[in-house]
Amino acid sequence: MTPTFSPFLPIMLLFLIALGVGAAILVVSGKILPGLLKPDNPQRAKLTPYECGAPPLQEGARHRYSVKFYLVAMLFILFDVEAAFLLPWAVQYKTHLWTFWAMLSFLATLLVGYIYAWGKGALDWER
Amino acid sequence: MAGINLDDSVMTTRLDSVVNWARKNSLWPLPFGTACCAIEFMSMMASRYDFSRFGAEALRFSPRQSDMLLVLGTVTNKQAPVLRQIYAQMAEPKWVVAVGVCASSGGMYRTYATLQGIDRVVPVDVYVPGCPPRPEGMIFGVMELQKKITRESLSARKEHVERFYQSLARQEELQKAKGLSQYQVVREMVLEAGAQGGQQIW
Amino acid sequence: MVIERIEAQLPGAVLERHAFRGDETITVAGTSFLAVVDFLFGEGFQMLLDVTAVDLETPEYRFEVVYHLLNLASQARMRIKVPVADGAAQPSLTGRFKSADWSEREVFDLFGIPFEGHPNLTRLLMWEDFPGHPLRKDFPLDGGDIFCSNDIGASYSPEARSLNA
Repeated sequence: MTPTFSPFLPIMLLFLIALGVGAAILVVSGKILPGLLKPDNPQRAKLTPYECGAPPLQEGARHRYSVKFYLVAMLFILFDVEAAFLLPWAVQYKTHLWTFWAMLSFLATLLVGYIYAWGKGALDWER
Repeated sequence: MAGINLDDSVMTTRLDSVVNWARKNSLWPLPFGTACCAIEFMSMMASRYDFSRFGAEALRFSPRQSDMLLVLGTVTNKQAPVLRQIYAQMAEPKWVVAVGVCASSGGMYRTYATLQGIDRVVPVDVYVPGCPPRPEGMIFGVMELQKKITRESLSARKEHVERFYQSLARQEELQKAKGLSQYQVVREMVLEAGAQGGQQIW
Repeated sequence: MVIERIEAQLPGAVLERHAFRGDETITVAGTSFLAVVDFLFGEGFQMLLDVTAVDLETPEYRFEVVYHLLNLASQARMRIKVPVADGAAQPSLTGRFKSADWSEREVFDLFGIPFEGHPNLTRLLMWEDFPGHPLRKDFPLDGGDIFCSNDIGASYSPEARSLNA
């Protein structure tokens, strides 16, 4: 007699069992065993930052840093989104002539921006 | 190890002995090395005396990642609050070994500048005498600590750790109240404890 | 030889001199101290090795500040001692020698002798609000700690609180 259920049902069952076992391991080793065995003594001193025992030189790690990190991150996002648009286009640009040139006009716009960033020195790490 | 019955291939152990066995065989040291005893510690870690066979290969120079504070060398009065802060930042379970006579009692330095024994400012479990102690002596000290760990009970609260954190709170209050530096506050606490006939500020 | 040249150039500056096994010492009054140091600098003694002090408690003056100079070209050394009264200040040599910076801070920390013209005259070895100056003769060796004495019986008396109590 042929089974009438989907052939993927065992895989889903396996997936659910794997999830369950993983969750059980995490809960037992992360919550139950430590709950039984750990010496529980929360103290404020244990949360202080480790500076070799000396009193901290400044309050936290919030010190000033250079703006070039922000610039690099912003340029990365812009050109990465452009690359993400390029990927599906690369698969089917041959379907139509218009497809090819539409993307190229988009690239041309971004090329102007790229030349501007280059000329302004945003790509130089050492100013 | 108490309670193992291997004849029936069934282990019936008390939880304490299992946990203490695990703890004593994986003591990760924090070497608080200030002077000559640290050099002897280095030779203890090296291949001839090989401290790693006690599970202590993982030298962690951070209080968050270690459980045994080895105070190796002279601790001055200026260094005392630093030692207290490092001990405070360690997570339990934690033990302290005073290696050498300078850490145990101030050693040959009976002066205004040297802390006369770290047990005045932090709770100590094992003292290893020597100037410096031979590596075999330090290994014996750690083995004595292992015996001490075997006798510990998991459920009993560590009273000396509790008293230490209370003394830390007292130190911070005094700092705020008097506006002195932490060094002067700890020094005054040590002198006051001495004047009252005791030695420890925790 | 150098000392003769000092005496020729600056008469009356050198109060006393002695030599022992090749190292020469001159005692210079505070007023002519800078002139002597500048003269010696010109003679080639361009390295200040150490600045330290001694608490003598003589009736005339209390401290003696001791400077060690080295002539790198001729390998000759010179020790200069300057008597300083209690509370009097010494001129700082930080303008001439970079090594005077911390050496003078150490002398200030341990003896309490202030140095005029020092850019950062704060304690170096002891902590900033340490009461007293440890290497003065009237400062007790144990700094007020009764358990620091040679009588170790005090620490182990029955009244002392013990770890196992």
